[in-house]
Amino acid sequence: MKHKSLEKYSYTFMLLGLMAVVLLFFTLTKGAMLWKGDVWLGIAMQFPEYGVVTLGLMFCFICGKMDMSFMALGNFATIMAVRYMAGRADSPAGGVILVGILIALAIAACGGLINGLLVAYLDIPPVMATIAMQLVWTGLSVALTNGNTVKGLPALYTEIGHKYLFGFLPVPLLIFLVIFAISYFLLQHTVYGEKLYMVGTNIKAAEFSAINTKRMVIGTYILCDVICCIGCLIMISTLASAKADYGTSYVMRCILILVLAGVLPDGGMGRIWNVLIAIVTIQIIATGVNMFSNLNTYYASLIWGALLIVVLIMSTGAGSGLMKRFTRQKA
Amino acid sequence: MSEYLLQMTGIDKSFGGVHALDHVNFAVRPGKVMCLAGENGCGKSTLVKIISGVYTRDSGQVTFEGKTIEKITPAEATRLGIQVIYQDLSIFPNLTVMENLAINSEITANRKLVNRKRWEQTAKEALSKIGYDIDLHTKMGELSVADKQLVAICRALLFNAKLIIMDEPTTALTKKEVDALFKTVRQLRDSGIAIMFISHKTEEIFEISDDVCIMRNGKNVYSGLTADLTKKDFTYYMTGREIEDDYFIPKNISKDPVLKVDHLTWKDKFQDVSFELRKGEILGITGLLGSGRTELALSLFGLGKVDSGTITLNGQQVRITSPIAAQKLRIGYVPEDRLTEGLCLRQPIADNIMLSSLKQLTRTLGTIRHDELFEKSNEWVKTFSIATDDAHKHASTLSGGNQQKIVLSKWLNNDLDVLILNGPTVGVDIGAKQDIHALVHDLANNGLAVIIISDDLAEVVVNCNRVIVMKDGSLVGEMEGDRITEENILEIIR
Repeated sequence: MKHKSLEKYSYTFMLLGLMAVVLLFFTLTKGAMLWKGDVWLGIAMQFPEYGVVTLGLMFCFICGKMDMSFMALGNFATIMAVRYMAGRADSPAGGVILVGILIALAIAACGGLINGLLVAYLDIPPVMATIAMQLVWTGLSVALTNGNTVKGLPALYTEIGHKYLFGFLPVPLLIFLVIFAISYFLLQHTVYGEKLYMVGTNIKAAEFSAINTKRMVIGTYILCDVICCIGCLIMISTLASAKADYGTSYVMRCILILVLAGVLPDGGMGRIWNVLIAIVTIQIIATGVNMFSNLNTYYASLIWGALLIVVLIMSTGAGSGLMKRFTRQKA
Repeated sequence: MSEYLLQMTGIDKSFGGVHALDHVNFAVRPGKVMCLAGENGCGKSTLVKIISGVYTRDSGQVTFEGKTIEKITPAEATRLGIQVIYQDLSIFPNLTVMENLAINSEITANRKLVNRKRWEQTAKEALSKIGYDIDLHTKMGELSVADKQLVAICRALLFNAKLIIMDEPTTALTKKEVDALFKTVRQLRDSGIAIMFISHKTEEIFEISDDVCIMRNGKNVYSGLTADLTKKDFTYYMTGREIEDDYFIPKNISKDPVLKVDHLTWKDKFQDVSFELRKGEILGITGLLGSGRTELALSLFGLGKVDSGTITLNGQQVRITSPIAAQKLRIGYVPEDRLTEGLCLRQPIADNIMLSSLKQLTRTLGTIRHDELFEKSNEWVKTFSIATDDAHKHASTLSGGNQQKIVLSKWLNNDLDVLILNGPTVGVDIGAKQDIHALVHDLANNGLAVIIISDDLAEVVVNCNRVIVMKDGSLVGEMEGDRITEENILEIIR
């Protein structure tokens, strides 16, 4: 029994091993520079915004669907929120911020609903439907802003992104942890989570088992886009503005993290702990590469890509065969 | 030259610790049909793969046309004249019949340019070998399974095949198509080609084969003339146990019908279908593929349409618009295609069993108790003796029969009035088939109303106390009790 439960976590061990290798590499090359409090505080400040977005997309992937529109939608939602907040400098900041956040989340929920309707009721392939919606949201944002940044956030709001709770806990990290806890609860302890994995594995069988699959798909898109929007709300706080094309590189980065974590868009697969490990590993690489002053930061994405290939090879049958041969020769 | 075309003796093959083939002996005579029979997982496919060169044997001797063959590779097998027609047929669905037929010889000849005339000639020559006529320019994907099979046979003949191996060719065919296929098989046999026919269907084996080789658990338990075997012996060799046909005798049929269907019509699928179903009954619905039998079931389960007509449940007229509505009305449906419609293969057995009754497990805030889910499903694993040591294992680890038991328990975990079984034992071996039939008898006698939809006439005859027959979307016959025989049903269907 013990052995079996270990097997279940073998992928987690592999990811932890990968993280250890990455840490070892930067320790060997940069030594003490990596193990400073500031560096780790920086890591803790940077990953939450796309970490939250990744958690949102995770729901979509487990459901066996894809979303390409979440950043465009998040940008549009935050642009609308900033426009609302910017015009009300004289009202009490707390109320304005709350309404602004609600506006953004409501827009994101509508965007998710549209994605869900397109996919569940009109049977449009998820990638196509959400790419179309991505263009729509980007187009709307650019039309509204002429492609310029939208500024004028209340000072209180921009502080959130840089604030530490109790002097050591960055607020973005706190938000990430809360979203992580909620996601964990949803996936592991609710009927929704149970259904999500089953629908993602075989949506037809789920339908034949009297599960309302259309509602599941639509609900999941709404959940995904709302959580992604929370990530965008953190982002505009650290950048003190909103723009039509903020964080567009996050789309690919989130997909990369999820696939690295074994949450494949085929659906029904993946554990949330692995996603957490993958998010942190990706950030450690980015931070590590930054420490080489002569290296362009784009080297980070080169390493990310190489890492993804290695993980994909190891998780295929051919890869595990190679591994076995390798370990057998050693033993 | 020896009497045999292909002779294999003492074939052994292990995968890891599993002894898949244990000293298997068998032989194929030229110009004869040899049936390789056995339940799922008995080693039939492994044996075929050794013959075709996909696997290498661990030990044993192979002689082909009197010559000992040391190592068989796929290329060597083709050169010898061994052709395998696999279940998936290995065709290119987006190419035309002509392209499918000609492509192999074009590649073998290493030609780089396309000459449509030559292609057409090759294709025509192939078709003429079995006197089969079809439009060369039809896309392969548009053909029926039966036609695809014939094209695959023609393609095999282009390689001057001496031995054609067919892997369960009748699985997706209707009775008529099976007859047509058998005609072709006999034609090939008479022209001197040896046919190896893999199947687990008793009737077909007795109808078509000259010799038979029966395998069980990686050993061959019988090989010899089919004529020397009785059907009873055959079943014994297949399963290792004596099995009697256990006819269903209804014990307590309710007076009032639980389900009443009046003039039900789904345009272009079926029309004007009326019948009644009482508690304690097992009603058979049979008909050929495309007779509307599956569509009728889907309409009763909320996945099909109802254009006109009514459905009455327990005296109340109802509209069934979705499986969720059907479930509320206490109707359960075990679908035709277990793998795509019945199971989430990559998920645990336990979760599959509880999939349609998650409401029972819902606690405050929509939370779920996993231990309860596991406990409940374990009860079903015990009740149905599903062959697993751990319900946390994926559903894909089980054989067809055990998988079907999962789908059954999924619905029986709900309180049902009507249970619709569509093809309940397709792809299920004889032993498990018997278990499932016995179980359905019990259910009916305990007051469930059961509908069995099947084109396996033997199954319908043994298990139903009443049968309705559909043809081209219409109800064309109804029979009860002793009048239910295969002959009577066939007479109406044809």
